Amino acid sequence: MELVDRYLHAVKFWLPRKQKDDIIAELSEDLRSQIEDKESELGHTLSDAEVEPILKRCGSPMAVAGRYLPQQSLIGPTLFPIYSIIIRSLFLYFLLPWMLVWMGIAIFSPDFRSDHPGAALFLSLGPWWRSCTYSLFFNTLIFALLDRSQARLHLVNDWNPRSLPQVRDRNVISRGSTIFELTVVVATLATWIQIDAFRRVFHIFGITITLSERWPYFFWALVLVTLAGIGVSCMNLSNPRWTRLTASLRLGLDFYSFSLFYWLFRTGLLQSFSASGVSSSDAADFVRSFNYWMAGSAIWVLVIGAIVIFFDVRRVLRIGPTSSARQENSGV
Amino acid sequence: MSPSTDTGNDRFENLRQELRRGSLPLAVLAALRTEHYGYTLRKTLADHGMAIDEGTLYPLLRRLETQGLLVSQWREEDKRNKRFYRLSPDGKLILKQLLVEWKSIRASLEDIF
Repeated sequence: MELVDRYLHAVKFWLPRKQKDDIIAELSEDLRSQIEDKESELGHTLSDAEVEPILKRCGSPMAVAGRYLPQQSLIGPTLFPIYSIIIRSLFLYFLLPWMLVWMGIAIFSPDFRSDHPGAALFLSLGPWWRSCTYSLFFNTLIFALLDRSQARLHLVNDWNPRSLPQVRDRNVISRGSTIFELTVVVATLATWIQIDAFRRVFHIFGITITLSERWPYFFWALVLVTLAGIGVSCMNLSNPRWTRLTASLRLGLDFYSFSLFYWLFRTGLLQSFSASGVSSSDAADFVRSFNYWMAGSAIWVLVIGAIVIFFDVRRVLRIGPTSSARQENSGV
Repeated sequence: MSPSTDTGNDRFENLRQELRRGSLPLAVLAALRTEHYGYTLRKTLADHGMAIDEGTLYPLLRRLETQGLLVSQWREEDKRNKRFYRLSPDGKLILKQLLVEWKSIRASLEDIF
């Protein structure tokens, strides 16, 4: 019976203090009755090996004790969906981009690696870990408190069907935003062409700026992508819904644009700079510093580009061929 | 056995347990029209095809007693202390109402089937 005593002792540990003895006495009586029945069936005293399956069938001590306790949860099923959305959003839109930026800097920036040699590179992630811990801790704490007070505060019971948000079709493109986008793009393009922005040499307020040899290539490539963008905007204006075609075109154009900018930032924009009162060595220093700053900022172009492309890809996947076919079938 | 059959069996087992769990309080109340202690109650229920493990029965008995549907008493029998349960007057009343409800559910289900 030593095994039964050990089992009951383990169950007792998890039970509420006031009920411990009462519950254990009843459970003990049940187990001993089972053992007695088995013994009279087999005609001998049960060995530990024969008692073991009886106890195992009864359940683990913690599980058995748990059934006597009131059902408890830190965050109940009413608030859990909101909690889950907040935690997932926090991870997806804050912690993950932060981690990607850190990885980008750690991989592409030799200066950062030399400033943080060896283990210091991983220690530089300290603020990220702290943000993870604090955000998880405080969100969980706030929701646990809300869960305990929701019955008094009527957080989820006071609602009205009329105050629910309108159903939003994520594939619909607002004509207002398309017109705004077109206006800005056309105005920018017109201004660029008016000031002959494809030139390499600019004279502004007595300053002469010579752009890199790559600038005209970049400029005309950007004009091309902008014209294509205007085409997509016109398509969106005539049919204000994302289709597989327009979403894919947008993805391609964004990828192309960000690649162009990344290339320009990495290779440097300025070739030379001169102004009255500025020595040629100072001007050369300025050009070097400016191009160095641009090369260092290329990572941000990459990060922003990756985020934009991520949402573009999601849109394409969301629409999908079946979704397009459904739209056509439904006559939308 | 293929994984899909396993999943099918698991699904069936979950639903079966859910179905039986819902009818356990009624079975326990009905069985306690006659006084029983835990172990004999379990045997009685098992003999009628409603096997229930001790980890489920005793917490259920406590809940029903807290709700005033059962009364219990520790008594010595065969030189051992046992806790005997029986229906309280409130329990008898509730059992009657639940039986009416049960018959109505059964009739509705048979009508649907």
